[in-house]
Amino acid sequence: MASNQAPVKLVNESAVEFLTTEMVEAMIRTIKDDAIRLGTDKDPSLGSPNDGTGGPKDYSEGDEAMEAVYYKLEMIGFRVGERLIEKISKDRMRFSDNLDVVKFVCKEVWMFLFKKQVDNLKTNHRGVYVLQDNSFRWFTRMAHDQSSAESVKKVTPYLWFPCGILRGILSNLGIASVVVAETSSLPACTFQIKIAKTA
Amino acid sequence: MANINISCIAIIGKQNNPLFIKNFNPSHADLKYHYIAHTSCDVMEERATMKAQDMYLGVLFSMEDLSVYGYMTNTKIKFITVLTVPDVIIKDLDMKNIFRRIHAAYVNHASNPFYEIDSEKMIKSKKFEQEIEAIGRGRALEGGNRNSLPATAP
Repeated sequence: MASNQAPVKLVNESAVEFLTTEMVEAMIRTIKDDAIRLGTDKDPSLGSPNDGTGGPKDYSEGDEAMEAVYYKLEMIGFRVGERLIEKISKDRMRFSDNLDVVKFVCKEVWMFLFKKQVDNLKTNHRGVYVLQDNSFRWFTRMAHDQSSAESVKKVTPYLWFPCGILRGILSNLGIASVVVAETSSLPACTFQIKIAKTA
Repeated sequence: MANINISCIAIIGKQNNPLFIKNFNPSHADLKYHYIAHTSCDVMEERATMKAQDMYLGVLFSMEDLSVYGYMTNTKIKFITVLTVPDVIIKDLDMKNIFRRIHAAYVNHASNPFYEIDSEKMIKSKKFEQEIEAIGRGRALEGGNRNSLPATAP
């Protein structure tokens, strides 16, 4: 019987990792540059990205420029997530409820993106879900000293893109949500999904 | 396989906004298909809550010489196929195949980063139109095994 399915196209994983890592770096670099050039950089004591000392700086969270970076990275992730779910959910039965959707994210989406499933899912049954990944694939190749507060802060921007992906996935399935990620010890990280209560 | 005469393929977005309507049967005005697509929205929402598992919603309703089939994706995009009622019974499997092809064409189009998923604008893409045209006229995909439709009026 002739197969009428197109062969599955694969992407080289290292290419994806390089791209996502560099995307965060480039975003920070370009926005910080703009902020310095326009004189709106609120915290020049942190130095500029190109002052030669190399590596990501410890950007404080109140910084306007970092908020712009957060917004952009999260929106990129959002749009990627929207399209991702269209592709992945194409051959799947309809979802029965929010818990079903989150379980799908934990299993199939994570398998698709990170080749593993989420290690732990907790919920308070009132719209808050906590996804715990003990070995986040995009962090496994980052040099770090285990739980130092510094490395935890440096890694924060790299979580914004996956947060956006999750929010995009949920949004295209009709679920409004807020996704926040945190990491206390690399390479583990947790994503917290807060789903808005429907009336 | 029965010869299926597709009159119209319509795609409705999440906010029940029309995304794409293609008329294959010149004997009915486009406006009629807009009307049909509009009435189908309510029927589909109702069927979707009843038939909780499957994306394929079956026959929604029929009017005069047309019967309307619906399909709603997980992302709340609705596909509607309007057929001129044939003499033989239409199998569910055939309709599901048609919807699967429409879904594949839509997913391919949505993957375009320049397409705004929630823009409320109609879909304007040559490639997408060609794919839907091919589905509507019953032409085979590469490797497919469909019979082609009898030639429609030029």
